Amino acid sequence: MPHDSLKMGPHDVGGETAQPINTADHGMTYWEKFSNGLRIAVSSKGIITLDELRLTAESFGKKYFEMEYFKRNGLALVERCKQRSFFDEAEFQNEIQTQKKNFEVPIVKLPDVKKINHLHDGVEHTHEQSDFQEDEFGEGPPEYYFEMLATAAILRKKNLITEDDIQSRIEKFETVFPFRGVSVIAKAWYDAEFQNYLLKDAKSAIKDMGIHLESFADIICFSQSETTHHVVVCTLCSCYPRTLLGMPPSWYKSRSYRSRVVHEPRKVLEEFGTTIPETKEVKVHDSNADMRYLILPQRPKGTDGWSEKELSELISRDHLVGVRIPKDVIQ
Amino acid sequence: MSYNSRASSNPKYTVNQNIVISRRGSEGHCRTPSYIRGKTGRVERYCGNFRNPEQLAENIKDADIIPLYRCVFYQHDIWSNYLGSKNDTLELEIYEHWIEPA
Repeated sequence: MPHDSLKMGPHDVGGETAQPINTADHGMTYWEKFSNGLRIAVSSKGIITLDELRLTAESFGKKYFEMEYFKRNGLALVERCKQRSFFDEAEFQNEIQTQKKNFEVPIVKLPDVKKINHLHDGVEHTHEQSDFQEDEFGEGPPEYYFEMLATAAILRKKNLITEDDIQSRIEKFETVFPFRGVSVIAKAWYDAEFQNYLLKDAKSAIKDMGIHLESFADIICFSQSETTHHVVVCTLCSCYPRTLLGMPPSWYKSRSYRSRVVHEPRKVLEEFGTTIPETKEVKVHDSNADMRYLILPQRPKGTDGWSEKELSELISRDHLVGVRIPKDVIQ
Repeated sequence: MSYNSRASSNPKYTVNQNIVISRRGSEGHCRTPSYIRGKTGRVERYCGNFRNPEQLAENIKDADIIPLYRCVFYQHDIWSNYLGSKNDTLELEIYEHWIEPA
């Protein structure tokens, strides 16, 4: 491992050896969406900077990788709010108890299934198993969700944020952001002039499509080609063009991907089923500061005369990060 | 951490110039990954001026606005045991105060 003595903290994983990548995206629970919406509302309103939140997470030390992504980032927000004296511990604990009360529902006393005799097709029998399950996992939200609810409630009371600040962001992450990148790429495949504009000045080209990227960052678009394959990572945290592609998938935030793709990109790409010939340059973009990256895949062969809408159906998020390549269409 | 003067906002380095990333430690929050420190590459482009994240992380309201570059490195120059093609590269963004002339 290079430069061990210079490692900044648990987050500085680029170059480490790590596990194979789990390339499945396991999506988000409601409390993860809420925590994420709250954190983004707080940072984009300038109440606490993104870099302060990053620093707080980094200072968790060994606990950094013991917590999953949303819990870690959520608790970093709570910690930073306390450090900045937005609330004190007593106020916080009090609010957690108030929030928990909202979850108290009467427990329904169900009869013992084995004691119920009833008729099926005229035959009396006893059920060995319950007819239904209360919910999929049989458990409620994790403890940190109450901390997030309490933080949101206190910040609302202090008029720093509104419920709409949080909910509108949750909503946009569901219904708007994930579809923008796909529409940009479909247009670039369809319209050569737009493609040139996008590669020259992505931020303006996207703006001219009527897409207002609610982001401080600049956007750079790179085109996959016969000679170069681009792939994007953020080794230090999870920088990603969220307002263009939605939330990053699970693997993008994983320790394995962040550690490995910078020093063994070809092997990582193989794990996604993407083989790059030795003759082609692999270029890794470690997205670590104020730029965000969009990858323009080559337009699949066999799509001559296709409409923008038809083309858009061939595009998936993984293509726009560079870990997969859209397949040619066989006529 | 102390910052004695406001940093210059005129970019010091030019496109294609050979550069080396400072090989030094850091405290607090920093966006220069350890794996790239001490490595030699070249400037791919100047990205404009941005607020210094090291100061932003400390809630310094008038954080310096400093030049940011994209720098490109051959993978073989970063990792002694790199297995891929000799043409493979890595690019990342580096704030000016982490760059030295090669």
